[in-house]
Amino acid sequence: MSKEEVDTVREQLERFIGQPMGAPATAPEAVNVPMIRHWVDALDDRNPVYLDDELAATTRFGGLVAPPAMLQAWTMPRPKIEGIAERGGAPDEMGAENVVTALDQAGYVGTLATNSELEFFRYLRPGDLLQTTNSLESISERKRTGLGLGYFVTWVTRFKTSDEEEVGRQLFRIFKFDPATIGGAS
Amino acid sequence: MGRDKGPDKGRVMDRVIGRDKKPASPLGVNVGDALPPFVLPVTSTVIVAGAIASRDFMPAHHDSAFARAQGAPDMFMNILTTNGYVSRFVTDWAGPEAMVRKIAIRLGAPAVPGQPLSFSGEIAQVSDEGDERVIEVTIRAANDLGDHATGTVVVSLPLPRPITGSSS
Repeated sequence: MSKEEVDTVREQLERFIGQPMGAPATAPEAVNVPMIRHWVDALDDRNPVYLDDELAATTRFGGLVAPPAMLQAWTMPRPKIEGIAERGGAPDEMGAENVVTALDQAGYVGTLATNSELEFFRYLRPGDLLQTTNSLESISERKRTGLGLGYFVTWVTRFKTSDEEEVGRQLFRIFKFDPATIGGAS
Repeated sequence: MGRDKGPDKGRVMDRVIGRDKKPASPLGVNVGDALPPFVLPVTSTVIVAGAIASRDFMPAHHDSAFARAQGAPDMFMNILTTNGYVSRFVTDWAGPEAMVRKIAIRLGAPAVPGQPLSFSGEIAQVSDEGDERVIEVTIRAANDLGDHATGTVVVSLPLPRPITGSSS
């Protein structure tokens, strides 16, 4: 039975498009200097606006700001270390059904991240408490790539502060594929 | 001179910021100008430090055996760290007044231990918006496996304020 013939999987996925992915999530803690320092040291990023109060105060930012690429780090879920490998690296048990688990169950267990587009509307300052909402933007038709058959899944995460100011956004695209279909086998 | 201490971040930075290549002045750039290149010596430590600083505990970013079992050549850098180095590459050049507005990348070859990542960038567009100069940079981070990340970074810089008399 070839997977090329009838794409019932794609039909079942249609209901996810335009829907939120999971409940809104709140960062475990507000933007803070210890986490910024950890990042600055880990990436050896010596831009003084991240840790040098005095210099930062003289810039357009008027004080310390967080490295923009930390945006996602603030809202990463707290990990449950035990069993993380068995969950394929997911920080915690997946909640309600979503497009990723639906694709896993349909045999498209491979995941490859293909695109990330981060937008920053303003830099974060210590004390900002972030909340995120995710919505599923699109699911492609089934495509054949070098990895096998699969679907490109695109979602958008919106980052807001506790007073509802949208401070950033990320578009993220993954390819969910069935490794058994590599090379045209069906 | 002639000291051979192997890869050393301080020396790499000297070379990047350094004297052998004149970096374009951020406000005065023109389309086509190149950013000072940057080479990141990727090690397990670099990968793990970035993963944990971004609170990403996925085993593929710290456990070589796990990563290999999943078909990867080795443990590999997480996307947050890649974005962090892309941001750093651009702001090391653009300076502390720069605000990164956008980082849009396409992800390719993994960044793995022992494969230095070479960052290069070129000015694609320059425009003024109000009191800011907006600069779009085309970037690439590549290793021997291919392009790890390619895309664009948009930064803005405040334009110098004209010196005038009282504004009242």
